[in-house]
Amino acid sequence: MSRQKANAEGKSPSRISAAARSLAVPLLAVVTALIIGALLIIVTDETVLAAFGRGIGSGLVQAWRIISKAYGAFFFGAFGDLYHITETLRIATPYIFAGLAVALGFQGGLFNIGAEGQYFIGGLTSVYVGYSLTGLPWFVHLPLALLAGAVGGALWAGIVGVLKAKTGAHEVINTIMMNYVAYRLAEFMLDVGGPMARPGYRPVSPEVQPSAYLPQFFPSDSTIRFNAGFFIALAFAVLVWWLLYKTTLGYEIRTVGQNPHAARYAGINVPRTIIITMALSGALAGLAAPMDILGVIHFMPNAFSSGYGFDAIALALLGNSHPLGVVLASLLFGALRSGASNMQGIAQIPIDITSILQGLIIVFIAAPAIVRAIYRIRGLEQGEELVLTRGWGQM
Amino acid sequence: MPPVLELKGITKRFPGVLANDHIDLTLHEGTVLALLGESGAGKSTLMNVLYGLYTPDEGEIAIRGERVDIAGPNDAIRLGIGMVHQHFMLVPVLTVTENVMLGMESIKHGILLDREAAAKRIRDLSARYGLDVNPDDLVGDLPVGIQQRVEIIKLLYRNADILILDEPTAVLTPQEVEGFFAVVRTLVAQGKSVIFISHKLKEVLALADTIAVLRRGKLVGAADPATATERDLASLMVGREVILTVSKEPAHPQEVILAVKELRVRGDRGEIAVDGISFEACAGEIVGVAGVQGNGQTELIEALTGLRPVMTGTVTLAGQDITNHTPRTITEVGSAHIPEDRQKDGLVLGYPISDNLVLNTYYLPPVAKGLVMQEEVIAERAERLVKEYDVRTPGIFTPAGNLSGGNQQKVIVARELSRDVKLVIASQPTRGLDVGSIEYIHSQLVRKRDEGAAVIVVSAELDEVLSLADRILVMFDGEIMGVVLADEATKEEIGLLMAGVHPGTQEAA
Amino acid sequence: MRKNLWMLVSLLLVVSVMFTGCGDAGDTGGEETVASVGMVTDMGGIDDKSFNATAWKGVELAIEELNVSGSYLESQQQTDYATNITQYIKQDTDLIVTVGFLLADDTAAMAAENPDVNFAIVDFGSLGDNVRGLTFSTDQAGFMAGYVAAAATKTGKVATFGGINIPTVAIFMVGFEAGVDYYNAQNGASVEVLGWNTAENNGVFVGNFESTDDGRRVAEEFMAEGADVVMPVAGPVGLGSAQAVQEAGNAWIIGVDTDWTVSASQYKDVVLTSVLKNMDVAVFDTIKQVIDPNFAGFGGENYVGTLENDGVGIAPVASGAVADAVLKDLETIKASIIAGEIDTGWDTYLAGLE
Repeated sequence: MSRQKANAEGKSPSRISAAARSLAVPLLAVVTALIIGALLIIVTDETVLAAFGRGIGSGLVQAWRIISKAYGAFFFGAFGDLYHITETLRIATPYIFAGLAVALGFQGGLFNIGAEGQYFIGGLTSVYVGYSLTGLPWFVHLPLALLAGAVGGALWAGIVGVLKAKTGAHEVINTIMMNYVAYRLAEFMLDVGGPMARPGYRPVSPEVQPSAYLPQFFPSDSTIRFNAGFFIALAFAVLVWWLLYKTTLGYEIRTVGQNPHAARYAGINVPRTIIITMALSGALAGLAAPMDILGVIHFMPNAFSSGYGFDAIALALLGNSHPLGVVLASLLFGALRSGASNMQGIAQIPIDITSILQGLIIVFIAAPAIVRAIYRIRGLEQGEELVLTRGWGQM
Repeated sequence: MPPVLELKGITKRFPGVLANDHIDLTLHEGTVLALLGESGAGKSTLMNVLYGLYTPDEGEIAIRGERVDIAGPNDAIRLGIGMVHQHFMLVPVLTVTENVMLGMESIKHGILLDREAAAKRIRDLSARYGLDVNPDDLVGDLPVGIQQRVEIIKLLYRNADILILDEPTAVLTPQEVEGFFAVVRTLVAQGKSVIFISHKLKEVLALADTIAVLRRGKLVGAADPATATERDLASLMVGREVILTVSKEPAHPQEVILAVKELRVRGDRGEIAVDGISFEACAGEIVGVAGVQGNGQTELIEALTGLRPVMTGTVTLAGQDITNHTPRTITEVGSAHIPEDRQKDGLVLGYPISDNLVLNTYYLPPVAKGLVMQEEVIAERAERLVKEYDVRTPGIFTPAGNLSGGNQQKVIVARELSRDVKLVIASQPTRGLDVGSIEYIHSQLVRKRDEGAAVIVVSAELDEVLSLADRILVMFDGEIMGVVLADEATKEEIGLLMAGVHPGTQEAA
Repeated sequence: MRKNLWMLVSLLLVVSVMFTGCGDAGDTGGEETVASVGMVTDMGGIDDKSFNATAWKGVELAIEELNVSGSYLESQQQTDYATNITQYIKQDTDLIVTVGFLLADDTAAMAAENPDVNFAIVDFGSLGDNVRGLTFSTDQAGFMAGYVAAAATKTGKVATFGGINIPTVAIFMVGFEAGVDYYNAQNGASVEVLGWNTAENNGVFVGNFESTDDGRRVAEEFMAEGADVVMPVAGPVGLGSAQAVQEAGNAWIIGVDTDWTVSASQYKDVVLTSVLKNMDVAVFDTIKQVIDPNFAGFGGENYVGTLENDGVGIAPVASGAVADAVLKDLETIKASIIAGEIDTGWDTYLAGLE
């Protein structure tokens, strides 16, 4: 961080305004997305259309009523009370892990589209350790179950890393393929009668032992599902940041990511670094799954697909592949999801609005020119602009 | 007749910088105007003003006596101004015709691209100006020199009369440079006018009709190529006396540092690029490797530094066999490498200077303690080296990509030569650099020699090899054609060896 | 100017939101309703044209006819189920309907913690005193469809496939195969079933409930093998099969869950019949129970949809597809199944799972 700051200092006399401007775009992107979301809510609401039929004035009043109700519920659902704040944080937890996974890959020049598959595998390994081991104290069982998720994801991604390092096979193709293998493997394991299925008629795993639960923070109120997972995720964000920017391994990962030729010249073992990067990325993706399994639902269903692995790509892009950025982006997504959930309950706005808002925010952040044009913000000088990714097409 | 182009009092300011300070220039029809200056002197800014990419803060531009406003490249092209950038703007997977048509496609029957008509025009232009370009070739298959001609054809196709060529020879081999000169002379003979941007004094003297020298945004002088010498131009450019020949004491070669025996190396396409080479380099001498580019020098250096596998033969560094060892081992045994392509191999452009300065020592104490890198040590080292090696930068945390070519090279030189090494391998160490930087880097290489290192210098510039090296190996077709002592060799002798001819026998090898 | 305008709009928006606060809960349908019903979908969403949609139809009918208020909450992730159920509990909803076996754990846990709240879960057995399980003997209807298919085939081959091999899917196929076997036995025919075998508990499954491409591919394979009747038990996947069948022009499709001549009417010319799983009837029935003034809790009682109570059934058979005698047979078969005289294969299947 200090380097980036110093860098801006070296180039521009107004570094504060530069920092403000680089923050302004994401913020305004969110505001713009909410405005467009509001327009969508208005034009799809029958009562508003009917009110406009009676006259512009009553139409506007009704539109205002609907929007304030919807967004009131939205903001309340995101930050309104203890329950909703903790929901926002809880939802953000697996996002942080998955986002860190993709971000780490980007830093190493690898486009890990396979976070979804690694998430599935991490879920399988973690839940297996979670339900099959009994009689362990929690401080042994829980770390073991988490470790199992990390190892599962790391191995799954590591295969792709090895293929890339040894044969040059592109990781995008291979991670996509490995996603399918992971889905089918999960199906095989969890389908009725499968090796990891619960006895009975449902394609789900057995219940995880309570000794592997992530500890709840409000055990007195069972509706609050906030658990230690969030703090583990934050700790990992710090760890990833430290690894990337403070250690020799991080230096190797970033050098290979930015310029593999120079990395080779510098004596870095590029294939080894690719394998390590991929495995670490997979470990992080694999850790996303236990956040829900050990922290919230305590079993793994075969229809576990939730799109975390794909949302993770957006999170890494939004977060500029920086751990802090990923955490902020994850909190944003958590707030959107939690808010939209409440908005659905209170104002009957379809939950799909989250996907629309997420999509709009990503578009506006990925194409900052749109936001700048709308709000007439001066562009950043060359070299100041956010580099969203250098992962694609580098190697 | 008014001049074809006239710039009056052009001034362009950037925050904190006066990039162009009241510059007046005149270009007459059918002549070559050379714009000479160190990197950062304001040449590119001035040309971008002319090409409409920047709006000048003051001053005016007149074409054939008429005042014009140029708001963008489209205006420039309409006014007959065309520019060939240093980095070509070509699409490799398209043919020459398609590249030339891009942006002004000729259409037939309303929707179909009329490739035939365009190809015919390209053939005509090619014949008329002696460009020798086949419109049906894929651009990606063409050598750099021909790609440059495609860029020129693009301009001619758009009826440009004033051609701006930005450092056109930086990417060319000596042979290609000759061909390029011929092209420019034909263009001028047929009435086109050319602005030639360069910092290579010889080329400027050979090609230009008039020379304008820029320094720190100001026009500091004009020179007549008929009377001016390289030394005059250099001191005009740099603003002080410049030593063009390398000043060095006679070499005192000591023990053998590097021994290469019967080395065979394959090139990228599987061909034998280095074919059974043997030589030695001793402590305290500079061995120059001369040769036309593409005769195995690149592959030789890559094999010596561990970047390319050795087929057969051995490489011994300070008594230790390093054949097919990793770049890291070879570095640790005591070798420094200034790579041929500094942006591709030598630097991570997105990294700050400080991080680039530890590119191959990042894991060693004191830069790293165990797994943790020591930022204070890195910063301290950077501050010291930036000062010591005269890297001109706003700060040690400036990304390397923001530096000029000369300063980028100084970062590499600082990194490599500040280490305690037995062998220095410098590949094209001054390619594309301005006079001041060249002078500095040469002196550093000599210093390293005098400290007792063996130094190997590969260069496509014969003058550089001649003035820097103590002993010269001439490579041709993967083999060493001959070894000469720099003091005794003549340019002609080496030139013949470079062409594969043994002096005396006068027979082609 | 423009910049200021946008700023103003956003500012107003934010401020208004701050002041309106959280708003009031669950007020759809006016104040004078007798009860409130909340439905929580699984990840398929409300417009899955399958069981979420059908269950919601039951709620809609109740809103119209029984003067109740109703709403639904869609789930995007496994962890949303509890969130959504919690929302309804906080809104004091009188009946919470959860759809699908995936919600079973959360429904059970919430029901145990909130014994005063009434729950109903579609496609799952009871999970406690205050939970009504809504299950369906679709094997009975599948049996009839199998009989029709066997009667309608000209090639002597009929086919079925599923989304994922779970009992709620397999039950259609089990009945279907038994129906075909019954036809063979009764009529001395030898119609073959592709894609399912109860004895082996094995069949063709595409592995999802989304991909219409998979549905098209599997149907085309079946037709290439000579089948001319296809019953896809895979939600929207079956629409791809229907299209393939329609393009082939010489085969029939059998709809599932709802009457496809209505819900997928673009394919009605190739719909032989549909196996109806009337989840709307079940949901409506449950709501009716809850609003009864004498209602004193479910007491752990389940609803099982059968041919007898019209919880399952088959849609009218395409005219001219089979002989009138076959339609008469169907009446007899229905009566026999209700009377328990015909084995639909379900017990064999369950035995095979043990």
